[in-house]
This record gives sequence, C-alpha cells and structure tokens, in this order.
Amino acid sequence: MRFDLKVALRYLLSNRLQSALLIGGVAIAVTVFTFNAALINGLAEFQIDRVVGSSAHVVIEPAKPAPRIVTAPAGTERLVVSQRALERREQIKQWRSVERIIDTLPGVTGVSYNINGTGLVTRGQQTLPVTLKGVEPSRLAAIAPIDRNIVEGEPRLGLNDVLIGRKLANDLGIKVGQPIFITSNQGRERTLTVRGLYATGVDSLDARLAYVNLDTARVMFDLPEGLTEIELKLADIYAARAVAKQLADTTGLEVTAWMDKNQRLREALEGQGSSGSIIKMFTLITIVVGVASALLLTTFRRRPEIGIMRSFGISQRFVLSVFMLQGALIGILGSLAGCFMGWGFSYLLAQAGKSSGRALPVDPSLGQYDVALLLAAAASVAAALWPARSASRIDPVEAISQ
Amino acid sequence: MTAPLLEVDGLRKVFVDEEFETPVLKGVTFALQRGEMVAMLGPSGSGKSTLLSILGTLMRPTSGSFRMLGRELTALREAELSDFRNQQIGFIFQYHHLLPDFSALENVLFPHAGRLWRETRAGRERAAMLLERVGLAERMHYRATRLSGGQKQRVAIARALMNQPALVLADEPTGNLDRENADQAFALMTEIQRETGTTFLLSTHDRELAERCERRIYIQGGVVVDAPTSAALGTSPAISARQPLRMVPGEVVAVVDRTSNTTRDDGDRRLA
Ligand SMILES: Nc1ncnc2c1ncn2[C@@H]1O[C@H](COP(=O)(O)OP(=O)(O)OP(=O)(O)O)[C@@H](O)[C@H]1O
Ligand SMILES: [Mg+2]
Repeated sequence: MRFDLKVALRYLLSNRLQSALLIGGVAIAVTVFTFNAALINGLAEFQIDRVVGSSAHVVIEPAKPAPRIVTAPAGTERLVVSQRALERREQIKQWRSVERIIDTLPGVTGVSYNINGTGLVTRGQQTLPVTLKGVEPSRLAAIAPIDRNIVEGEPRLGLNDVLIGRKLANDLGIKVGQPIFITSNQGRERTLTVRGLYATGVDSLDARLAYVNLDTARVMFDLPEGLTEIELKLADIYAARAVAKQLADTTGLEVTAWMDKNQRLREALEGQGSSGSIIKMFTLITIVVGVASALLLTTFRRRPEIGIMRSFGISQRFVLSVFMLQGALIGILGSLAGCFMGWGFSYLLAQAGKSSGRALPVDPSLGQYDVALLLAAAASVAAALWPARSASRIDPVEAISQ
Repeated sequence: MTAPLLEVDGLRKVFVDEEFETPVLKGVTFALQRGEMVAMLGPSGSGKSTLLSILGTLMRPTSGSFRMLGRELTALREAELSDFRNQQIGFIFQYHHLLPDFSALENVLFPHAGRLWRETRAGRERAAMLLERVGLAERMHYRATRLSGGQKQRVAIARALMNQPALVLADEPTGNLDRENADQAFALMTEIQRETGTTFLLSTHDRELAERCERRIYIQGGVVVDAPTSAALGTSPAISARQPLRMVPGEVVAVVDRTSNTTRDDGDRRLA
C-alpha cells in the first residue's frame, strides 16, 4: 500500500467519529442528489410519456407562405400588415411524394395521413364547436391509442361514422348508434352515426375532437387531393428534432417535433430540470463546505505533527497528498453510501406508490448515480485542496514550538 | 585532516515582525568535524534553538552561509532542502514529538517510507534493528502514546538515525527527562556516535552532560565562543578557567575546548 494512503487512512481511523460524521454528511448529500434526480427524471419521463404516448412525435403541415416584402420610399414610416390569404387553402398537395420519403425513413413506427378542420355539431337545440379529424380507418390508432380508449361502441370508421369523446356525448345528450348533424367550416353538412365514445382523460380532447373517415373529411372540407397534416410516431422520441429537420429540408414543408409543439411541457420540464439542478448544486456546495471545514480543523489540530514530519524531511507533496487522499476517501465512501441510500429510498417510494395505487413518478433507475459519484468525489477532492495546501505550507519551526 | 562536516560562516538571524526586530544570531562562525559529539551551551534565549533550526534547514538565516558535505545549503530550494534534511539530518527534540497515531516501529520507519512513498522490507528491518538498539524490541508495535517519556525519547533517537544521517541535531534532548532517563538517553547517543561515526550537535542546560561531550561551544551575545565569560554562564570551574577568548574584532571564530579530546581518529567510521 502507498504510504501516503496508509497515513491518510490512519488519520481517518484515529478520529472515527469525525470521519463517520463526514462520510455520513457526504452520503446524505448524495442521497438527496440521487433521489432528486430519480424524482425529477422520473417525473419528466412520466410527463413525456403521457404527452408523447397519445400524440404525434413529428407533425408535417403545409408550408406557411413567406410574408411579402414591402418596400417603402426612404423617410416614410412603414407599417407592414401581413395576412395569410384566406381564399387559398393551406394543404399538402404532393403528399404522395412525402409518403415515399417517409417510407424510406428508419425508426418510424406509425404514420397517419389526416385532414383536419373545424365545424359545428348540432343535436336538437344544442350546437357545439368541434374539431374534425379525418383519418384512414386502418390507421385510426397509429398515433393515439383511440381503439384502447373506446369506452362504448367500437372503433370503426365507415364513411358515415363518427367517433366522439364521452364528454361531448354527455354535453349533447347522445348515445352510441344515434345520429348527429355536422356542418363543416366549408359549409358542407352531413349526418353521421356515432359509432363509439372514447375517453382519453384529457378534457379538451374528450369535449372537442371527433374522428371521421378521411374520405368523409375530403368531401366536408373540399379537399379532393390534398391533406392538411401528416403525423409520425418514432421508435426514439428524442430523434424527433433530427427527423423533423431532415423532412423539412427534403420536402420544404413545415415540420415540427413534439418538443417544439408542446411548449407547456417543455417549459415544465425545463423548470423542473433547473430546480433539480439548483438542488444538486446545493448538495455539492454542502459537500465542499462540510469537507473543507472539517479537514481545515484536522490540519489545524495536526499542525505540530505536520511540523515534525517536515522536520525529518517529509516533502510538502507528501503532506499535500495525505490530506487530499483523506478528502478523496471521504468523498468516495460517502458517495457510494449515498448512492446506495438514494437508490433504496427511491425504490421504496416507487414500490409504496405502486402498492397504494397512487404511484409517485420516482424512477430508481434514473438516479444519475455515476454523475453523483463523480461529482461528489470531485467536490470532496476540491474541498480538500485548500486544507491540504495550508497543511503542506506549515512552518515546521512554528508548528513544533506550539 | 579531512574537510569539516559543517562549516558555518557569519550566520545572522533577525526576527522581524510588525513591532519588533529581534537580532538573535549576530554572526555565528564555527565548524563541526566528522564524527564529533559537541555540546552547545548558552543561557535561555541566547539562540540555541534558533541556530539548530537553521542548521537543520528548518529556518533560513537572515544572512551568512553554511556548508555541509560540500553543499552550500543557503542556496537550495525548499524541495531540495527537504530532501537533504531527510537524508543527512536527524532531529531530536526536547519533547520527543512522536506521531501519536503510529506505532514505535512506524514512527522510526516514517522518514524512510515517507521519502519512498511506500514501506519496504529493508526499511522495516532497519527500523526494527534500531528499536532493538535503543532497547525497545519489546515495545515495537506499541502506539507512541502508550510509551513512557524515556521510551518515547529513545524512539525519537532511533527515528533520527533511520536514514543514516551525517549529522544529528538535538535540542535539549534530555531536558524533559529525569536524571536516570536523561543519563540513559545520553549514554545511548554517545554509544551510537562512537559506533556509527555520526556527528552530534546537542544543546543542553545540563553541564554535567556537556562535560561528557568531546567538545563544547557557547552561544553568548548572539555569537559562538569557545568559552563563556563568567557573567554570562555563572560559575563553571571546569570551563571558566580554560583558555581565554580568542576574539577577532567584528567576528567570532569558534571554539576549541579539547579537554575531553579522547583518542578518536578522524577517519570516517560511519557504519553502513
Ligand atoms: N519567531 C520568533 N520571532 C521573534 N523572536 C523569536 C522567535 N523565535 C525566537 N525568538 C527569540 O529569539 C531568541 C532566541 O530564542 P531561542 O529559542 O533560540 O533560544 P534558546 O537559546 O533555545 O533558549 P532556551 O534555552 O530557553 O531554549 C529569544 O529571545 C526569542 O524570544
Ligand atoms: Mg531552545
């Protein structure tokens, strides 16, 4: 064994209580670090899952026409008003070629070719606004698991069928098998039969969204050829941005990844992430302050001994190393214990949540144990630097005569 | 005659702090021959500890020079001094100053293992041999804190010899011991000096022990003299009647008191 390591260990063992407290302190800080990571990351995973599980990962929409550039004579004030031409419907006309591109993309697990639009649904005296989503019946569940969300009736979309949310059905006082009257924003009217009711748990969907057959939507929205939207589902949700960029570059269409579509989610994740980072930072600061102050006390208490060592020619580097090693040992032992405790704590909470039914979104596998170990050990070594340097620079004559 | 082990030339030390300037050494000049055992006497506060600290390279002089084994030590950098100290100088202090967390054996081994950054079998064997030599074979694995005062000081003597230094500096090595332990420790040092040819310079207030050394030097008024004035040291018949002061104006040349100039050859008798 290296002799500096032996001396460092001997010093740690000679003051067992202080060493135990120090290691315990680091362990608690690392427990907080890893539990915090397991919670924040688990929560993020949970939220992403909820959003991404029932919506598209990449959405292709018609290109937005660039606003016209208006030149004005110099010296005059300019007021530029840009308005999208209302009479020109935005649509994806060349979607067949886009389909061919999509077919060559790896990692695409589902595609849906849609025509979306708004309309009004009337039943008796009641009239409510709806969003109509025209999809191919075979791809009904390609994006959202609507087939699994059906609570009444069946997930079938014939030309005269419609699937609506349970909340909308309640609002209208309608049952499966009954007809409803729908007017599209293009003025087309149609009577459709309610085939099924679904419940996603998201109120805004359950109250507003109605699925119809793509061919029905073509008629109702006057789009004999084009589409208004293509939705993709990917095997790797974090590849969404790259896929979106690639598609935008090759098709010239407006392509958006899920994280850019769900600003709320992104903000929530960022907020949680940064509050998590602040907590992590404070745990590291706690480690640095705790280890540094304890080691400073140790070096102070051991001044005469260090003076003696220096008097028989022990180098400053050796003294430095002895105290740095103490910091490193405290850091490594403490953070190992802390990782174990953090994992155990997260695991217990996750289990307790499962058995009680109200699961806390803690994921013990997301505790960032490697990062915690590395950072805590680095923090301890950094904390030891100052005490170790001051120990190595002790004036032996002064220290011995103390 | 071979070159002296240590040559000290015009060494000065002034302690300076915010309030005071304290000149302690005012031009110390003397030499130590290889293998001699020299006592340094002087009143309290005369600068004995200061001089030993400077010679032991623990403290730098304000000016002046000293050479040991042909090297000008005032010119060395801190790391080189540390290394030199490790290999060529052994310290023995009044308060044994063992490292309390280590056994007697580990204390003796420390200067060796600390230099190599690891313990070696040869080192452990030598440390054990030295402890045996100072009569502590039985106590080898005792913690330093579990030894008596006299035993601790003998461990300190063994530790000072661990790296076979050319010079051992002892600052009142018996000052904290009772008569019996003091005599025992002193006897041990003289024996080791004879066996190994290691040079010893020891400061002491104990005239009786000083008389048993081969040679005495005195610090008085910040310089080293070969005999003290009676005013400075009180009455010491064995000393005061000896030679008159040989004083060169402005500087002082040390020291020869050959009373106990026993039959000691000058050859290098240091044991391996
Ligand atoms: N760090 C310092 N700062 C200022 N003055 C000091 C310092 N160290 C020692 N001195 C002064 O230097 C003088 C010599 O001190 P030193 O310890 O060398 O004497 P000494 O001969 O060993 O005395 P003693 O026999 O009592 O041990 C004393 O007057 C002391 O006050
Ligand atoms: Mg002294």
